[in-house]
Amino acid sequence: MHALRNVLGQMSVHRSDESVEEGELMPTATIDGRKARIRQGDTILDAAKKAGIWIPTLCYHPAVSSDASCRICMVELDRGDWRQLVTACNYPVRRDIVVYVSSERAERARRGVMQLLLARAPESPELRALAERMGVKETPYPKVTESQRNCILCGLCVRVCEDLIGRSAIGFAGRGVERAVAAPFRQPSEDCIGCGACAAVCPVGTIKIRLHEDEREIEISPFKSRAKLAVCKKCGALVVSTQVGEMALGKIEMDSHKAMGKCEEYLERVHLCPKCRRSDIATRFGTVLAYRKE
Amino acid sequence: MTVHGNGQLTDVSDLQHMREELLSLRIASAKSIHVCTGPGCTAKGSPKLYELFCKAAKQAGANVKVLPKAVGCHGLCECGPIVIVQPGDIFYQRVEEPDIAEIFRETLLGDRLVDRLVYEDPATGKKLDTVGKIPFYKVQERIALAYNGLIDPTQITDYIAEGGYSALAKVLSSMTPEDVISEVERAGLRGRGGGGFPTARKWRSCREAKGSPKYVICNGDEGDPGAFMDRAIMEGNPHCVIEGMLIGAFGIGSEQGYIYVRNEYPLSVDRLKQAIEQAKKLGLLGENILGSSFSFDIRINRGGGAFVCGESTALMASLEGRTGEPRAKYIHTVESGLWEKPTNLNNVETWANVPHIINKGSKWFSGIGTQKSKGTKVFSLVGKVVNTGLVEVPMGITLRRIVDEIGGGIRDGKSFKAVQTGGPSGGCVPAEHLDARVDFDELTKLGSMMGSGGMIVMDEDTCMVNVAKYFTEFLQKESCGKCTSCREGVSQMLHILERIAKGEGQVGDVDKLEELAELLEGTALCALGKTAANPTLSTIRYFRDEYDAHILEQHCPAKECRGLFLYEIDAEACKACGICKKNCPEDAISGEKKVPHVIDQAKCTRCGTCWDKCPFTAVMKV
Repeated sequence: MHALRNVLGQMSVHRSDESVEEGELMPTATIDGRKARIRQGDTILDAAKKAGIWIPTLCYHPAVSSDASCRICMVELDRGDWRQLVTACNYPVRRDIVVYVSSERAERARRGVMQLLLARAPESPELRALAERMGVKETPYPKVTESQRNCILCGLCVRVCEDLIGRSAIGFAGRGVERAVAAPFRQPSEDCIGCGACAAVCPVGTIKIRLHEDEREIEISPFKSRAKLAVCKKCGALVVSTQVGEMALGKIEMDSHKAMGKCEEYLERVHLCPKCRRSDIATRFGTVLAYRKE
Repeated sequence: MTVHGNGQLTDVSDLQHMREELLSLRIASAKSIHVCTGPGCTAKGSPKLYELFCKAAKQAGANVKVLPKAVGCHGLCECGPIVIVQPGDIFYQRVEEPDIAEIFRETLLGDRLVDRLVYEDPATGKKLDTVGKIPFYKVQERIALAYNGLIDPTQITDYIAEGGYSALAKVLSSMTPEDVISEVERAGLRGRGGGGFPTARKWRSCREAKGSPKYVICNGDEGDPGAFMDRAIMEGNPHCVIEGMLIGAFGIGSEQGYIYVRNEYPLSVDRLKQAIEQAKKLGLLGENILGSSFSFDIRINRGGGAFVCGESTALMASLEGRTGEPRAKYIHTVESGLWEKPTNLNNVETWANVPHIINKGSKWFSGIGTQKSKGTKVFSLVGKVVNTGLVEVPMGITLRRIVDEIGGGIRDGKSFKAVQTGGPSGGCVPAEHLDARVDFDELTKLGSMMGSGGMIVMDEDTCMVNVAKYFTEFLQKESCGKCTSCREGVSQMLHILERIAKGEGQVGDVDKLEELAELLEGTALCALGKTAANPTLSTIRYFRDEYDAHILEQHCPAKECRGLFLYEIDAEACKACGICKKNCPEDAISGEKKVPHVIDQAKCTRCGTCWDKCPFTAVMKV
C-alpha cells in the first residue's frame, strides 16, 4: 500500500515545464554548445535530455533516487580555470553552467568505466549494446570470477524494492569486491512479493522472472524468492502474484472510501486476468452506453 | 571547591576559582612521577608500572609527598615504557618493574639519577637526562599534544589546572560567534584529517547554511595503516577535543555534537566517555554552559571497523544507522549533512588545536608554519627509523629533519629510500626530495599528501613495487564497493601489481596502471577512491627503474619480492655448520663438514629458510 502510494507520489511530482512558477530561477545549462533552460536543482542529465544530448546511464532511473554508483554518466563540468568530471545523473544545476559531454576526457572516462563493467558482465547483451553505442568493443581486463559475474552492482533493483515497493526484500551484502545483491543470508526472501519490479529495472538483464506454472509460482532469479500466483476467477489463467494483488486491493479499498463506495467493480476486477478484465470493462461500458441512449 | 551546590560551574569566574584552588593544592605535593600509558608504552606493560608506583607512594608514608600519574602518549614510543620525574623533567626510558624501587629511592627521595635508565643519544653516545635535551623532543613544537604527558587524562581537574576550558570561558564571556570564526580564520587553521580545507571557511558555511538543528562532528575514525595520532590525543587529552568542539559549536550555532570513534580504539571510547561525564558534571557540557545561553551536548558513536567510514559522508551515513558508504558531495555536508541538516565535521587534531588558538591568539598560531600551512602537524613516525613514535612539528620543517633529527636516521646503518606520507591516499617521497618542506601544498606537489599524519620511513631493503601492492591491497579490501571505479579499478590495479611482484609482469603493465590511475582519479565517487592510485603513481614516478627490473629482468632490486632474487652462500663466511642444510625443505643445499655449503639453484624455491636460520649471516640475497 505504502509502496503504491509512493509510486503515485513519484509520478505526481514528475515535473513538466508548464508547472514552472513565476519568478522561479531557471539556470541555463550549455551542453556541448547547446543551451537548455531548466529548473534550479534539476540535474545535468535532465538538462541534457532537454537539449537532446544523449548521456549513457545504467544505475539511473527517473522513478528512484540517484545513487551515482555506476559512474557511466561522467561528463566534464567547466569550473572556470579547470574542468571537473562529474556524474550527470545527480549533479544539481544551481546556476548557469557549461558542460562537455563529448570532450575527449569525458569520453575516455566513460569508456574506461565501461571497460571495467564489461569485465563484470561480459555476457549481457544489454551492456554490450550500450558499450557498442559508446564505441567500446572489448575490455582489456580479466573477467571477474564466475560467482560475481553478470551483475554490475548498480543497485537499481535494491532501490526500487525499497523506495517504491517498500519491501526491501533484497539489499547489498558484503563489502568491496565481495559486494553482491542478495536477499538476507542469500536465502529465498519471505519479504519478496514477486512483483518483478527488480527484473523490470535491471539494466543488464541479469534479474529474470521465471514462471513455474505447475506449482502456480513466480520466481525471481537469481534470488530464488518465490511467490504464489493468483488464478483468474473467470478463466483460470495465472494472473499475478497473490501478494501483489492484495497490495493493489488494499490501495483500491483505501481509495474507495474517498470514492464513496463507487469502486466495488474495481475490487472485482482485480481478481481477473488482463483478458477477462478487458472483456468485463467492455461489457459494463456497453451497459452504460445503452443506458445513455435511452 | 568553589563549585555550587549541585557541583556545577555556573559562571566564568567559577572556573577561574576552581583552577586557582587546584593549583594551590598542587604545591603541597612536591614531586610527581609521570608514567606514560600511551598505546606503545601500555603494550610494553606501563599500566603495571603505574600501579607499582602508586603502591610505593602509599608505602612511603605520609611524610613523602609523591604523586604518581598515568599520562597520555609521550611520543618516543621506541624507548617505552617512559617515566618522567617532575620537577626536573627527568626522562627515564625502557623502565621495567624491578627499576621502580630504585627510581623511587634514588630520584624521588634522594634526588640522584638512575644512570642506566637515562636516554643515550645513539648519534653521540652522550647521556641526556632531561626531556628538553633529547633531539627527538628538541625539534618538536607541541600544540595539539601540549598536555599529553603532563596531565592525567582521566581527571578533568588536571586539565583545568593547566588552563583547560579557559578558552571556552573566554569565548563565552567576551566573544561573538563571528569573532570565534574570524579568529580561527586569521590563524589559518586547515583541516588536519588530510584534505587541508580551511577550517574557518567550513565553519562559516555551516553557520550561514539554512536549516536547524546544526551538528558538529569529530572524526576519530583514524584508519590509516601505521597512524595513531588521533588516538594519542583522544586517549591522552580527551578534554581538549571536547573544548575545541564546544568552541566550534558556539561559532557555528550548534547544540549537538558527535564523536565518531573507531571500535578498535576501546580506550579512546572509555576516555572520551569519562571526559564527557566529568564535563557534564561540572556544567561544561549541557544546558546553559558556565551560566551563558549556550547549550551543547556530545554523544559518542563507535564505528564498525570500516576504513571508508573515515570519509565524511560515509561517516554520517554510519551515524544515521545506515551502511557506511559515501555519497556525492555536490551538495556539501555543511549545507546538508547528518540527517540532511547543516553539519560541520573536523578531525580530532583540528579540534584539539582550537582552544590554543583562542587562548594564545591567531597571531601566535599563524606565526608558526609556512605561508599557506599554519601551525603544527602531528605525525606518527614509524618504519625503519631509530626513534619511532609520535611527533608534532611545525609546518614547513623538512622531511629530512623529521627523519634524521627526530627519527634519528635509519636503523642498522642502512640507507634511506623513501618516506610514505598520507596513508593509503598518499605517496612515497624519495631521497632526492627529503629537503621538501612538510606542508599541505608541497607534499601534494610531490605526488603525496599530508594526509592525517602517518609517516612510514623505508630503507634500502624495501621494494617499492611491494609497497604499492601493500597499499593497493589495503584499499581493495577496504573499498566499500559502491562505485564501479574504485571497486573494479582498484582490484584490476592490484591484479597487475601482484603480477609484477611475482615476476610475471608484462611490458605495458605500467602504462595500464597509469591509465587505471587516471580513471580512478577522475571518476571515483569519494576522495578515498580518487586518491587510491597515489601509492602506485608515486612509486612509478620515483622508482620506475624498480618496476622495469621486475617486469623486464624478473629481478627485485630490493630483494624483497620472493622468487625475484637468489640466495647464495658466501663461501668465506660459511662455517659449514650444516644448519641451513638441515633446515632446507627442498634438500637444495649440499656440503660436508669444513667445506663451505652450496645452494643448488635448480632445486631452490627461494623460501628463505636458510637465510633465516644461518647463524653467521653467510646466506646472501643476490
